[in-house]
Amino acid sequence: MNTPDTSRENPLVSIRGLSKAYAAHTVLREIDLDVHEGEVVALLGSSGSGKTTLLRCVNLLEKPDRGRIEISGQAIFNQSAGGDDKAGIKQKQVNTLRSRVGMVFQHFNLFPHMTVLGNVMEGPRIVLKEDGAINRKRAMEYLEKVGMADFADRMPHRLSGGQKQRVSIARALNMRPEVMLFDEPTSALDPELVGEVLSTMITLAKEGMTMLVVTHELGFALEVADRVVFLDQGTIEAEGPPADVLLHPTNERVQSFVNRFHATAELMRPLLQD
Amino acid sequence: MFDWSIITQNADLILKGLWITLYYTVVTTVLGLAMGLLVALAQLTRITAISWAGRLFVEFFRNVPLLVWLLWSYYALPIFLDINISKQLAGIMALSLYGAGYYAEILRAGIQTLDAGQTDAARALGMSTGQAMRRIILPQAFRRMIPPLAGQTIIQMKNTTLLSVLTVPDLLYQAGYIASFTYRPMEVYTAIGVVFLIILIPSNYLARKLETHNR
Ligand SMILES: Nc1ncnc2c1ncn2[C@@H]1O[C@H](COP(=O)(O)OP(=O)(O)OP(=O)(O)O)[C@@H](O)[C@H]1O
Ligand SMILES: [Mg+2]
Repeated sequence: MNTPDTSRENPLVSIRGLSKAYAAHTVLREIDLDVHEGEVVALLGSSGSGKTTLLRCVNLLEKPDRGRIEISGQAIFNQSAGGDDKAGIKQKQVNTLRSRVGMVFQHFNLFPHMTVLGNVMEGPRIVLKEDGAINRKRAMEYLEKVGMADFADRMPHRLSGGQKQRVSIARALNMRPEVMLFDEPTSALDPELVGEVLSTMITLAKEGMTMLVVTHELGFALEVADRVVFLDQGTIEAEGPPADVLLHPTNERVQSFVNRFHATAELMRPLLQD
Repeated sequence: MFDWSIITQNADLILKGLWITLYYTVVTTVLGLAMGLLVALAQLTRITAISWAGRLFVEFFRNVPLLVWLLWSYYALPIFLDINISKQLAGIMALSLYGAGYYAEILRAGIQTLDAGQTDAARALGMSTGQAMRRIILPQAFRRMIPPLAGQTIIQMKNTTLLSVLTVPDLLYQAGYIASFTYRPMEVYTAIGVVFLIILIPSNYLARKLETHNR
């Protein structure tokens, strides 16, 4: 939708040889993945293929076993097989890195003991030690953007799922991240609430936000993503422009995956007309 | 048959006992909570030796009878360490540590059963472990734990009666003393029981109210 960085030289997120296992169960195998500035990458794959794990490795909520991760050219994880953490990355740097990477969760994870506005202001307040008035003003702007400004003083438990997810997007945006990670942001929503969250994400994509999105919404991947990455049993099985990968799949796993989702793509079309 | 004038005549002694009981309840609750929080956090660290020490602490106090622990603290511990401990200090220490074992379990469970997504969200914003604890985890955990903590504090108050075996002049000790020279144990012990009921029935009611309120 937007024009991705064409230089292709300095990816915003760069992942090389990333591997991760839970005990004997290998979840990610030697993943290489770049996300360029302004690019929207959709991460697809069947349940258990490792999408969530990969996403959580990007901001080190999950510690990889091996590989190298860079954000804006800065190594935040670097470990070769059997070797030590060469970059010598300190916990403090990890926290700083996380503050530059926004994350939106499947189950929103809003802070239930704070108002909507409190949720959105919390990160800049505590992590960036930002001035209250400036923070509040910008938080309200982001709430406006996601259409939740009228709910600023509500407690999260009094919101619908779609509203919660839009607040959680505003909470992440208020940190002014360089890249946004989404883990199935619409999977926990009633079908009639999916649209409002997707259209918020479409707005972000159009504004040039760099996004890595785990999703089961094939329509979104097809229409909004610049590139799709298809994960299967911890390896990237297919990767490329959405139309190529999804409409003319050469890989049989992608094919059977796509067949299961044809109906959803149709549902998306009306949302994208503007 | 009943001679309730015994109670009014000795009201000052009973009142003194009541103050001692309340004093020990408050002091051992505060100390117990503070130590309990440390032990709970110790159990939750990833450093194995520390989390095991926390676990051991809890197991010890949940399995040793309080009366045994109390007597041991006053009569045996000073011999082991070759020091002098006043009965007040021994009582406060023993009751606080004992309470800490129970408070720690309540606090640990409250922190642990909190949805892992809350920690994830805090960490994803860039919060340090300490910031996430202080701003996100503990406020929610404490809110939920108010009812069980209130319940444990009520038990803590009842447990202070055991201090009378160390001749700390709490309510129960005063009752024994009054009975010893009035020869009216029936009136005296009935009165002491009633005092506890008057304090604890409303407290229990309040704790239950908090429980429904927090649901
Ligand atoms: N903490 C964990 N401990 C052990 N195994 C785990 C853990 N987290 C994930 N796994 C396993 O790793 C594999 C990949 O999980 P992951 O959550 O990344 O998949 P996913 O592609 O996001 O699936 P879904 O579409 O169901 O969300 C699964 O087999 C899962 O059971
Ligand atoms: Mg997942």
